Amino acid sequence: MKFKILTLLAGAVLISASSTAVMAAGKTIAVSWKTFQEERWKTDEAAIKKVVEAAGDTYLSTDAQGSAQKQAADIESLISQKPDVILVVAYDSDAILPSIQKISDAGIKSIAYDVQFEDPNALYITFDNVGVGRIMAQETLKVKPEGRYAFIKGDKGDPNATFLFQGMQEVLKDALASGKVKNVCETFTDGWKPDNAQKNMEQCLTSTNNGVDAVLSENDGMASGVVAALEAQGMAGSVPVTGQDGDLAAINRVALGTQLVSIWKNSIDLGTTAANAAIALADGTDATAIPGVAKFNGGKNKVEMNAILLAPTPITKDNIQVAIDAGHITKEQACAGVAAGTVPACN
Amino acid sequence: MAEQSSTGGPAASNEGPISRLIRAAEIDTRMLGMLAAMLVIWVGFDVISSILRPGGGGLFGGSFLTSRNLWILLVQTSVIAVMTTGMVLVIVLRQIDLSVGSMLSIVAVATGVLQVFDLGPLLGVGHPAIWIIAVVFAILLGAAIGAFNGILIAYGQIPSFIVTLGGLIAFSGAAFLIASGVTVAPMDKTFKLIGGNGPAASIGPLWSWALAAIACIGIGVAIVAGRRRRLKFSFKAKPVWAEVLSVVVGCAAVLGTTAVVNSYLYPPRVAERFALDNNIPIPPGVEDKSGLAICQAADKVVSCVDGLTFQTGYPIPVLIMLAVGLVMTFVARRTRFGRYIFATGGNPEAAELAGINTKRLTVTVFTLMGALVGISAIIASARLDAATTALGTLNELYVIAAAVIGGTSLAGGIGTIYGAILGALLMQSLQSGMALLNVDSAYTNIVVGIVLVLAVFVDQIYRRRVK
Amino acid sequence: MSTETVVADKGAPLVEMHDISIAFGGIKAVDHASIDLHPGEVVGLLGHNGAGKSTLIKVLSGAYKRDSGTIRIDGKDADISNPRDAKAFGIETIYQTLALADNVDATANLYLGRELRTRWGTLDDIAMEAECRKVMGRLNPNFRRFKEPVKSLSGGQRQSVAIARAIHFNARILIMDEPTAALGPQETAQVGELIKQLKAQGIGIFLISHDIHDVFDLADRLTVMKNGRVVGTAHVKDVTKDEVLGMIILGKVPPGATPGPGAIA
Repeated sequence: MKFKILTLLAGAVLISASSTAVMAAGKTIAVSWKTFQEERWKTDEAAIKKVVEAAGDTYLSTDAQGSAQKQAADIESLISQKPDVILVVAYDSDAILPSIQKISDAGIKSIAYDVQFEDPNALYITFDNVGVGRIMAQETLKVKPEGRYAFIKGDKGDPNATFLFQGMQEVLKDALASGKVKNVCETFTDGWKPDNAQKNMEQCLTSTNNGVDAVLSENDGMASGVVAALEAQGMAGSVPVTGQDGDLAAINRVALGTQLVSIWKNSIDLGTTAANAAIALADGTDATAIPGVAKFNGGKNKVEMNAILLAPTPITKDNIQVAIDAGHITKEQACAGVAAGTVPACN
Repeated sequence: MAEQSSTGGPAASNEGPISRLIRAAEIDTRMLGMLAAMLVIWVGFDVISSILRPGGGGLFGGSFLTSRNLWILLVQTSVIAVMTTGMVLVIVLRQIDLSVGSMLSIVAVATGVLQVFDLGPLLGVGHPAIWIIAVVFAILLGAAIGAFNGILIAYGQIPSFIVTLGGLIAFSGAAFLIASGVTVAPMDKTFKLIGGNGPAASIGPLWSWALAAIACIGIGVAIVAGRRRRLKFSFKAKPVWAEVLSVVVGCAAVLGTTAVVNSYLYPPRVAERFALDNNIPIPPGVEDKSGLAICQAADKVVSCVDGLTFQTGYPIPVLIMLAVGLVMTFVARRTRFGRYIFATGGNPEAAELAGINTKRLTVTVFTLMGALVGISAIIASARLDAATTALGTLNELYVIAAAVIGGTSLAGGIGTIYGAILGALLMQSLQSGMALLNVDSAYTNIVVGIVLVLAVFVDQIYRRRVK
Repeated sequence: MSTETVVADKGAPLVEMHDISIAFGGIKAVDHASIDLHPGEVVGLLGHNGAGKSTLIKVLSGAYKRDSGTIRIDGKDADISNPRDAKAFGIETIYQTLALADNVDATANLYLGRELRTRWGTLDDIAMEAECRKVMGRLNPNFRRFKEPVKSLSGGQRQSVAIARAIHFNARILIMDEPTAALGPQETAQVGELIKQLKAQGIGIFLISHDIHDVFDLADRLTVMKNGRVVGTAHVKDVTKDEVLGMIILGKVPPGATPGPGAIA
């Protein structure tokens, strides 16, 4: 896993190096953002802007403010400014399709950034979401190859909760079949809420009389509730707990040892990769020739398109430094309350 | 009593011995009904869980009626129960507060940010003043937001439904902005005790029994004093046997609850760490100091520390819930403020004409509601050991549902504090019990929804019959 | 009756409402009305529904705030802008709707707004109930249902609670808005007796009614209103019932009465 990420990162670095050196400046890369209400998009934007401007190209952007209609108008105005590539973070992946058609008609390349829209001409760049569940199960299996597993799933109305669970099941299939791993509790958590996860974990521990050896929680927020429930039974730290999102508090728990892993989707990686791909497209490189591109047809309508699926980073005790280096978290935040000598990054 | 509209109905000429007994002892029959329903639910869960997963050690062989589950149930109820005592008064006043969930978010997040990002670095992490400042801050912030709601409702004359619906939407947005959406953790280690996790977060068996004894004496003194006063004014008092029965039943309830919370022992690993920390000798047979190897090999974790037993007693959040319940009952029944709330809820115009400043009253009630949300926010974030925007979401619905299941009339003027707390306990029993049985939360939601409607329906029939 | 008239005529008026106007959404509910009341006097206020009599009196009881005009109590300007102010001047009101809090018991209603408290500041329910039993014992000896919300009481019983509340706190000025509307003949007679008792204690009473007979039986003077204006004021002994009917219906002022701004010339 780690090897793959490293190659990908190395690839990204290579592309950026070559693009600045070889390619002509003066291209225009535009982005239509769906919203800036959530903080993460600002991180993405900074990463894209950095790469684009370093290449001597121009960066343009619009903010749809959470409206499909505004996004359609935004894209029209971007088209009229004749950029070479438009990256689109679609607010509505169906309603956006006519706008994407207009982009193609104007001879401009399009990239579906993080949110998929099914247009065969577009390049789709995102994190491998199904993979997150797999990584969670793999990391857990490493430390607990046998034992009683509890599954704290997300909201039942969110398809991601089921995707993640499917990913876990793929990895655990053999262990479950052979009886090495037992599924002792499996519960959805209304609204992905930490306090609901805490109550569910408490009931799981009560019903199994603390007979739980590992907990696969589908995100970091719920992991905080799971850890609190384990702590009440004195079990926090000895029972591995998974999570995703790279929550600052979760990374701190990883350092403290109460959480095994937080799968982190580094927006900087995503932004950098997308910006490099955009520059490559602008310079006339064929999408299929861009490193990391593969065919993807896992969308709603099974439309086949070119895609780059980045592997998310599992943050464990051993590689917290990665998140610190990326500026995602400060050393003080990550290492608060950590005993000296237990975590490499905190020394 | 002002709010006991259900007790002491008109004398029926041909009542049976049981109804005569109930009348003489002035028992709230509605509450009896709720307790009976609760009993059925509890026994039902225990029996079903004994079938699904035998050997839970509960009263009927399941895992519901165990001291552990009941202890946790009380802790789980506390957040909603504290808020619902305030919601009763709000609804009695013919108002509604839809913003309590979002208010809880904003208070929890702001208090978390204050203690983790501001006070921690400023005073040093773990400074003994942090939790005090955080608690005071949370209650004041809650009260301030409540007062703001109240002023808009009373003086701005905007319906409370609208004001608090706006609050429901706006406060959660504000909570997100305060911490830019990140989860704030971990809480101060003393503050965390308010959530009820860990040995120091419970008062232990001795204090629990002492409190129970005080409560028993309190019940006795209150009943004797009340009786004396009635006799002094030569009113008809309840028959002596009814008074004695009240003391016995009340005392038995207190002692029984205390026995249950005391018989919940420290979880094995907590017990072991506690023993190591406090230099308590670990009895022979428990060689493994880390507690890991043996515990994992054994089927039951408990077996690795047999002989090392510590009783937990009342956890702090439950004590807070009980204290809030007592204070709020006192406020509702024994103070002018409470009387005015009920009178205003019964007939706002009449209250105004009687010289009650109903505007100020409204502001005060919403302020009190806010302060209680502050207390709940403290318990919720301390218990989770983290503050997030998600904390409190949808709580307004559970708080209102608990009040309504507990007999509060949305038409205003009628409601009891203890009823609402029982309502919260009943609802949490359903949720916890079904989680214990590993029932999909979709079904739990369906059941809770049905119980809410059923409770109101039964209530209507009951009230019609009493009339 | 003559003795009472003499009492009523001497000394400064207890209440003088002068040139009172109040409008709701452009409609003048009370239009430059003036009215007065002496200690120990009963003044009947007559008029159709919507004539403005209840509104005028609610200005005095503090339920409405006047747009213009002055109120003098004992010859001094009185600033009345809410029910609490009015109570401070000894003005008590029995509303047509009775204005009881339906969900609480008789005792709580009797003391609403002026509860007795123990030395710890808590409600002294037992002392209040004892007091309530005394008062109700005088007004309505058959009343027993002290523990029930007043919603479950009969019309007459509710009326007694409302009256008890008005007279229990040493009222000097009593306003009774249709006090007998919900009552049977026997209870009506009781209220009549009560009014005579209160009069004898020197309390001034405004009696609002649209029953002329009641007013002729109980009042010393009467004032008729029509369309928000005062038609005229007269001593009961100076006018006949027919003449008063003429005032109410047509606004015609007989020779025995003093005409007001609402009189037809």
